[in-house]
Amino acid sequence: MVSSPVEVAAEIREPGRPRTGALRWQRRIAPLVLLALGLGAASGSWQLKLGTLHNPAPGLWPFVISLAIILGAAALIVWPGHEPLEAWGRRSVSVMAGIASLAAFVVLFELIGFFIPAVLMLLLWLRVFGRESWRWTAVFAVAGPAVLYVIFDRLLGVPFLADLALDAFV
Amino acid sequence: MDILSNLGEGFSVALDPVNLLFVLIGVVVGTAIGVLPGLGPTATIALLLPITYTMDPTASIIMLAGIYYGSMYGGTITSVLLRLPGEAASVVTTFDGYQMTKQGRAGAALGIAAIGSFIGGTVAVIGLTFLAPGLGKIALSMGPAGFVALMVMGLFLVTSLGTGSAIKSVCMAAVGLLLSTVGQDPINGSARFTFGQAPLLSGLDFVAVAMGLFGVAELLRSLEQTEKAQIIKTKIKNIWPSRKDMKDSAGAIGRGSVLGFFIGILPGGGGVISSLASYALEKRRAKDPSRFGKGAIEGVAGPETANNASSTTAFIPLLVLGIPSNVVLAMIFGALLMHGITPGPRLMTDHSGLFWGVIASMYIGNLMLLILNIPLVGIFIQLLRVRQGILVAFSLLIVLIGVYSINNTSFDMWIVLAFGVLGWIMSKTGFDAGPLVLAFVLGPILEKSFRQSMLISGGSLNIFVTDPAAAIIFSLILAGIAIKAISGFRRRLAGTKASPESPVAEEEDPQATSDGGEPAALLAASPGPSEGAPAAQHADKQQSPTAR
Repeated sequence: MVSSPVEVAAEIREPGRPRTGALRWQRRIAPLVLLALGLGAASGSWQLKLGTLHNPAPGLWPFVISLAIILGAAALIVWPGHEPLEAWGRRSVSVMAGIASLAAFVVLFELIGFFIPAVLMLLLWLRVFGRESWRWTAVFAVAGPAVLYVIFDRLLGVPFLADLALDAFV
Repeated sequence: MDILSNLGEGFSVALDPVNLLFVLIGVVVGTAIGVLPGLGPTATIALLLPITYTMDPTASIIMLAGIYYGSMYGGTITSVLLRLPGEAASVVTTFDGYQMTKQGRAGAALGIAAIGSFIGGTVAVIGLTFLAPGLGKIALSMGPAGFVALMVMGLFLVTSLGTGSAIKSVCMAAVGLLLSTVGQDPINGSARFTFGQAPLLSGLDFVAVAMGLFGVAELLRSLEQTEKAQIIKTKIKNIWPSRKDMKDSAGAIGRGSVLGFFIGILPGGGGVISSLASYALEKRRAKDPSRFGKGAIEGVAGPETANNASSTTAFIPLLVLGIPSNVVLAMIFGALLMHGITPGPRLMTDHSGLFWGVIASMYIGNLMLLILNIPLVGIFIQLLRVRQGILVAFSLLIVLIGVYSINNTSFDMWIVLAFGVLGWIMSKTGFDAGPLVLAFVLGPILEKSFRQSMLISGGSLNIFVTDPAAAIIFSLILAGIAIKAISGFRRRLAGTKASPESPVAEEEDPQATSDGGEPAALLAASPGPSEGAPAAQHADKQQSPTAR
């Protein structure tokens, strides 16, 4: 929909880009996960009790939805479709590394506050993923969190957790 | 006269200095992100949702609306200059706009696009002003069964217009509905699917879900892209189109306004479809269709006008019926809900200041965009120098702090991250996040209306046939499914018989890699140009030497 201009742009500019289709059985992985979700949700809503249409218990509505998911997933398992999908490649690994770094940020944020994790995260994202020079990386990685700290904590009054680095100064 | 006095009230709200400032911020930010490839209106609004929490509801909706239609202008700039559509709806503009740039007529293309957008947007707002009250009255007379039908129609249209396969979209809509049931049961308050997590009792936070699926997922995806920013070499001059240009485009702008207006009213309309339809229409009408794709100014003026008109009228289903017709509007819907305001027929009377204020702000915003765009194009272009890596790194950091700031709990940071990963995997496996978010927003209201209908009918599903509004809407949905099935069947028939040309036509529309014919199929059923459908496909085939 509206949200992937980069993809659209890439397609327009590199028309011949081959979009490798996944193998047939690989296309069934996602529907299988979906099926598991549907079955889990159905049994969960069953335990919540269904009641009647006139007098529904909490589980009725989620149960109906779970049935829709199960039917849809089953249809996709039978007909996985053949539209082109993006291939998983070496770059997907860097996305996973990125995800791991964000998770690390949240964990550190809970432990030692905002500033140090933010600097570390920016160092990684600017230098490794963004391929900025060391000079610009250093400037942005230190100035950025400082500015954001002032905006969010001081101006907008968001109570950040106790901060290991900033509490020593401020 | 009633309308005029309401509009007067609206202008008094919109002209309030603070609100005026937010219109300006909205349209400037919108234009900027329209120019920046990689950050579309959906992602931006998702990123800004936490900020709107603290704002006055009217000001926040005014700003978000400004971002939405502002981004439509901004997307044009890069489409024309670099053949790089900043957002999906401007893809069509690249066909002729970029050719005009090559011929040294970039200024005229940008100028006519700005003027066309202004006219289209304004015509649509005027239509919105006069149509909304009547439609609201009809909507008010509908019972809960009618609303269930309306919401089902909204979901149906969104799933059938999605980018991937229809079944996948239906699955995603169902997952969205399921996710919306997490939390307390709306009637008796017992916990559902909370797995003993206290923060889940109040449900998954819409902002966290939306920011994850659109913001974080989009940013993660950028790690996989190899796009490098291009430096603009062309100097832009003569931004004001010549008299001949104006004369050539006048018809296209007029037709684009009307076309965009009607397509925008449909739930699921707006944006891409209207610009595609307008391009097809202009090409059909042209005396010499071969000019299209080689820098015909009508090919820029028509689609740009239609695009803006439809994105404005898309507010009708949102504000009057409470049905968001696309993902961006679903975000705005979510923003309203966060402020405790449920969009729907009552909005006009219960929050008339907000309703008319937002409409009046659109008149002002469109005017601002016209003024901003013509002289300031050069400045916006400089934004392309911002390096992707810096943008991504800071956006991610702001997402994480932003989502933390909603409830001041790091639990939401995990939610946003989880949905970011989900969104990324979904895009890799061909599932569209749009239906999911839309269903997530509509879920609670749909459940409530459904339960109310069941209470009224004493548990009989017959109410959906006996209630006149519901019956009409459901039969429309069935008709839509029938048309889709028939056209799909026909296409398959044609595909087996006919030339190797046909797969090319399907591949062409970059939005609908799998199902290129679908927007056209919908058009055939819409009050728009019934002839637009074959033309759209035809135009695509010819217009995309690049896409092969």
